[in-house]
Amino acid sequence: MYIETKGLKKSYGEGGSFVQVLKGVDIGIRAGEMCVIQGTSGSGKSTLLNCLGGLDSIDTGSVTVAGTSVEKLKGEKLADYRRKNLGFIFQFYNLVPNLTVRENIQVCEYLSKSPLDMNELLEVLGMSEHADKFPSQLSGGQQQRCAIARALVKNPKVLLCDEPTGALDSKTSRDILMLLEKINAKYDTTMIIVTHNNSIKNMVDHVIYIKDGEVSKDYYNEVKVPACDLEDL
Amino acid sequence: MYGLMLRRACRDIKKNVGRYLALMVLIGFAVYMVLSMMGSAMSIIDQSADYDVILNVEDGQFTVFVPLNATELDKLISSGVSVEEHFSLDYEVLDGSVIRVFKNREDIDLITLHEGRLAETDNEAVLERRYCEEHGIKIGDTFELGGKSFTVTGIGAAPDYNMPVRNLSDTAVDSVAFGLMFITPSAYDSLLSEGNSMKSEDYVYAYRLNGAMSDDDLKAILEENEFDVADIDDPFFQEYWEEMVGRKDDLLEGIDDLNEGAQELRDGVNDLDSGVDELVDGVGEMQDAMPDLQSGANSLYSGASDLSSGIGSYTSGVSAATAGANELNDGIGQLSSGCSDLAAGSDQYMAGLCELNDTAYALSLSEDPFTAQIAGSFYQATSGLVAGYSGIDQGIDSVAQGTAAASSGASELAGGLNTLDSNSAALNSGASSLQNGIGEMRTGINELSDGVDELVDGVDELDSGVDELVDGMNEYADGVDEFTSEANDLIDEVFDIDTSNLVVYLPVADNARIDAAPDDVKNNLYSAMFVGVVALILFAYVISVFVVHSVDQESSVIGALYSLGVRRSALAFGYIVVPAIAAFIAGVIGTLVAVYASFGIPSNMQESFDYYSMPDMGPQVQPFLLIYGLVLPAVITILVNVLVIRGRLTRTPLSLLKNEQKAVKARDIKLGKMKFIPLFRIRQLLREMRTGFTVIFGMFLALLIVMLALNTFIYCYRVKELNVANTHYEYMYTYKYPEKEVPEGGYEAVFEETTKEFEGYNFDVALVGLTRNNPFFDMSALGDKDSEVILSASFAYKYHLSVGDEFTLTSKDGDKLYAFKVAGINDYQASMMVFMDIDACRDLFGESNDYFNAVFSDHPLEIESGRLNSTTTKKDIESASGVFVDSMKSLITTLIIAGAVIFVVVMYLMVKMMLDRAAFNISLVKVFGFKNGEVKKMYLDGNMIMIVAGALVCIPLCKAILNYVYPNFLVANVNTGLSQAFPLYIYGGVFAAILFLYFLISQVLFISIKRTTPALVLKNRE
Repeated sequence: MYIETKGLKKSYGEGGSFVQVLKGVDIGIRAGEMCVIQGTSGSGKSTLLNCLGGLDSIDTGSVTVAGTSVEKLKGEKLADYRRKNLGFIFQFYNLVPNLTVRENIQVCEYLSKSPLDMNELLEVLGMSEHADKFPSQLSGGQQQRCAIARALVKNPKVLLCDEPTGALDSKTSRDILMLLEKINAKYDTTMIIVTHNNSIKNMVDHVIYIKDGEVSKDYYNEVKVPACDLEDL
Repeated sequence: MYGLMLRRACRDIKKNVGRYLALMVLIGFAVYMVLSMMGSAMSIIDQSADYDVILNVEDGQFTVFVPLNATELDKLISSGVSVEEHFSLDYEVLDGSVIRVFKNREDIDLITLHEGRLAETDNEAVLERRYCEEHGIKIGDTFELGGKSFTVTGIGAAPDYNMPVRNLSDTAVDSVAFGLMFITPSAYDSLLSEGNSMKSEDYVYAYRLNGAMSDDDLKAILEENEFDVADIDDPFFQEYWEEMVGRKDDLLEGIDDLNEGAQELRDGVNDLDSGVDELVDGVGEMQDAMPDLQSGANSLYSGASDLSSGIGSYTSGVSAATAGANELNDGIGQLSSGCSDLAAGSDQYMAGLCELNDTAYALSLSEDPFTAQIAGSFYQATSGLVAGYSGIDQGIDSVAQGTAAASSGASELAGGLNTLDSNSAALNSGASSLQNGIGEMRTGINELSDGVDELVDGVDELDSGVDELVDGMNEYADGVDEFTSEANDLIDEVFDIDTSNLVVYLPVADNARIDAAPDDVKNNLYSAMFVGVVALILFAYVISVFVVHSVDQESSVIGALYSLGVRRSALAFGYIVVPAIAAFIAGVIGTLVAVYASFGIPSNMQESFDYYSMPDMGPQVQPFLLIYGLVLPAVITILVNVLVIRGRLTRTPLSLLKNEQKAVKARDIKLGKMKFIPLFRIRQLLREMRTGFTVIFGMFLALLIVMLALNTFIYCYRVKELNVANTHYEYMYTYKYPEKEVPEGGYEAVFEETTKEFEGYNFDVALVGLTRNNPFFDMSALGDKDSEVILSASFAYKYHLSVGDEFTLTSKDGDKLYAFKVAGINDYQASMMVFMDIDACRDLFGESNDYFNAVFSDHPLEIESGRLNSTTTKKDIESASGVFVDSMKSLITTLIIAGAVIFVVVMYLMVKMMLDRAAFNISLVKVFGFKNGEVKKMYLDGNMIMIVAGALVCIPLCKAILNYVYPNFLVANVNTGLSQAFPLYIYGGVFAAILFLYFLISQVLFISIKRTTPALVLKNRE
């Protein structure tokens, strides 16, 4: 498996406020596949994503990404891990407000020794004409495209998407999902999409359900529905 | 609602306790510093004013040539003016310092005692407190002076020597070198009678007008007083006076001579007029004679031609005669030779005849009668023959003699003709020359004729000119008459001034010694008030940055509360109450420390006590001080914060709910293609413009304080260094009664005291006439014009004068203005002097060609002390120059520390603020894989640009401000001017210090960056 967790446990707080968020999660994701982690609010799906991204430490168990034991990394090595392997897409885009689209993408371009061609990427994402605009001058969909471009420019092996369509309307959500689909096909990027949207699971290879901190379902779609055909987004 | 907001504010304090503590320390520190200075200044000003009343401080003082007589004193006293003698004697004591001795004061400028009591017996004395402090003198000590011993019974101060300088023109107080002593009148008289003082007694009177008249009135009365020369015993004065009277007589005689000369000149010009008239006539006649002269010259030339021709013929004849004479001479020579031979042959023939005759006679006597007969006949024949031939022979001899004479005559003839021949050639040549000469003469006569014509014209003009000259001369003679009359009056007037008894009239306002301390601290008071307000505004603005950050962060909450009906004032209260409380508490703490701590107001007052000679004073806390310390910090904080956040709180609830950011064009500028890190840094700076501005503002204020300290240091350091380094003489003597001859080894000078106003202060400026060869002052730039002067560097800097500028000096009595043009500036720094050519100076002040009243030398000169007004040595200058540095050390250190603290705290708080505001983004880029070092480059190191740019702007800006403010306000009352320029290394040092402090701060803040984790992004998302 390209991405693998074993016996992953994570808790927060102490005493009365102690919460066991992940209770021994075992998952495996292959390289190049699109995977959706789905679950209700508070199920632990985002915590799982954070543990995969090295954004949060784990209590016990192991997390392996591209052969790297993430739980053993600290400080600069953890930063190196994220720099070399991961791209992040957030629900609320998290663009740097006082940087233009091009400059926001440059933030991650700077991190890669062999970044993708930015102009090509902007073209692919349909953002060429907005390259010199600031985030406040863009719509939500355009901002998310910018965030995707920023995540992709360093050509990551894994793209972690945390509710990428959570703040978007249905049409824009479809556009973004089509884009992710296109990127997966074009760059063979492994994608993990955390979402509570029930339709998205139909367009991906692999679906993992988390419930109360445990994997309740883990399966592969035999037939994928193209993003353009998804309903109820 | 207000209670809720207050509760929320209290939680805000708890949350940001470090930040508020830092700001409170800063505000408290500023209030402490400012109040210490203000409190000290106000205490000194107020108590000095009280002491002025208690001690009956003079309204002014005047110095006279000889003490006022009883009539003069009565006149003043009866008019209501109080007058008291403040006569003094100067003595050099064992350690080389100078003590000025006065009698005890009874009415004006009373002595305040710090310890002990006044002198009551003739061997007791009160010494001035600063002198005692510097020399470790205590009550009961014995003090030797003027060959007498005094027991110190009191240590105190006199208000007329609040700034205890020896001369009014002295730059700084030097209590190591100069002090005061007060003794009983009889002890004073005893000292006076001993005659051991360094110079003659100074006759100074202090006066109080008591509202009876004005200063001008009193001065006018005093100017009317004249002294009787006969009353003055001083032998040096008598010598001086005789010299002055002699000079007056010389002047009067000179003017009489001038008048007589003018009359003679008028007579001479009239004679000239007559002569010119005759000349006109003569030249006219000459012009009339010129045609005859030309005609005669022509005839003469013709005659000369004929003469030359005749002499040519004559010369030829003489040559031919000479040749004939030579031949004649030769022929007569031969004839003479033949005659000689003929005479010789004739003699022989005669001899033969005689023998024949003798023979015939002998035969006639023969016994043969035939023979005898024949022989007798023969004898008779021969005898006749002999007798006949004897006549021939005589004839031949005569011919021979004649031919010899002819030969001699022919020879002389030939010789004479030869001579004539050779002379005739010269005669011929002479005739030719004569002819040529006459030709030239003829030409010359023609030219002469032309010249005579011109001469006639010229003489005509001369005639009219001389006529005008005559008229002018008559006017001149009349003018000289008038001048004589005026000059006599003027001389009388001038010499009358010298008989006026008033030497110096010095109202209290012009006396730098009196109330110097309150005058000095006034500058501190106003500076502190101003700097305090600026600092408080800065700190309030720093606080406002935090408040704005909170408002921005809580925008949606504010919007929600507005939507729910909460009033804007309640919200504003919630954001401002904490800063206001913090500022108030800090103000209270700062005020308490300033008022009650020994290092507050008392410490600041002590700095004045350490320099000025002041009576005992304690800290006083005026209501204004309390308002400033307790109220102003909170008020300024509230005002600034209200102004800053008003715009944000007046947004609509919806705008706040959506957290819409106001578009700021400057932040959204397009930067084009740049490398990522520089680009990001610029974006970050643009985003944090307000914070950056605050940092720059803080840096500006901090630099202003630090540069003030450095300016003070450089000022004091230069006083110390340049005064000594650029004083090239060792001794400067000024005379009260000048000598006739310059002491050997000395360089004479003429000193005239003048004044010049600067920012309300009247400073003494010495106008010094120097000889061009004076080795102690560079006079090379001085030209020939009398109005040109060289300035001492201190004067030029004080009055901002450069080469080519024109300026005026005012005479000491204020009646005259002297205008000068700056020809050069030399390096002399020790006092304010204007140098000019000594002769020009003598002329300016109507002094004689050999007058001088000062001497410079590189070794001590033998001059009687009774003649001297003062003696200044390089050692004195060196000693006095060090005072500034010593007295300012603590102020300089305090200011530098204060500046550094403000810079560090403001910089830390603001940059920390920037990092806090950027925390989410820092977290985000860390999610992307940025390392701490890279984040530091992006968010922290970019500030370096701002700091460097800010420093590059603020350092010269602060310096420029100080260059104006410092000399014109802060040291306007100091009697010297100095270059304000910093050496480059100081600028470099300040710049390096800024970078170093920033480096330290950035290292501390780097910890904050390290502590920011990617989890922040997740918190935001959740």
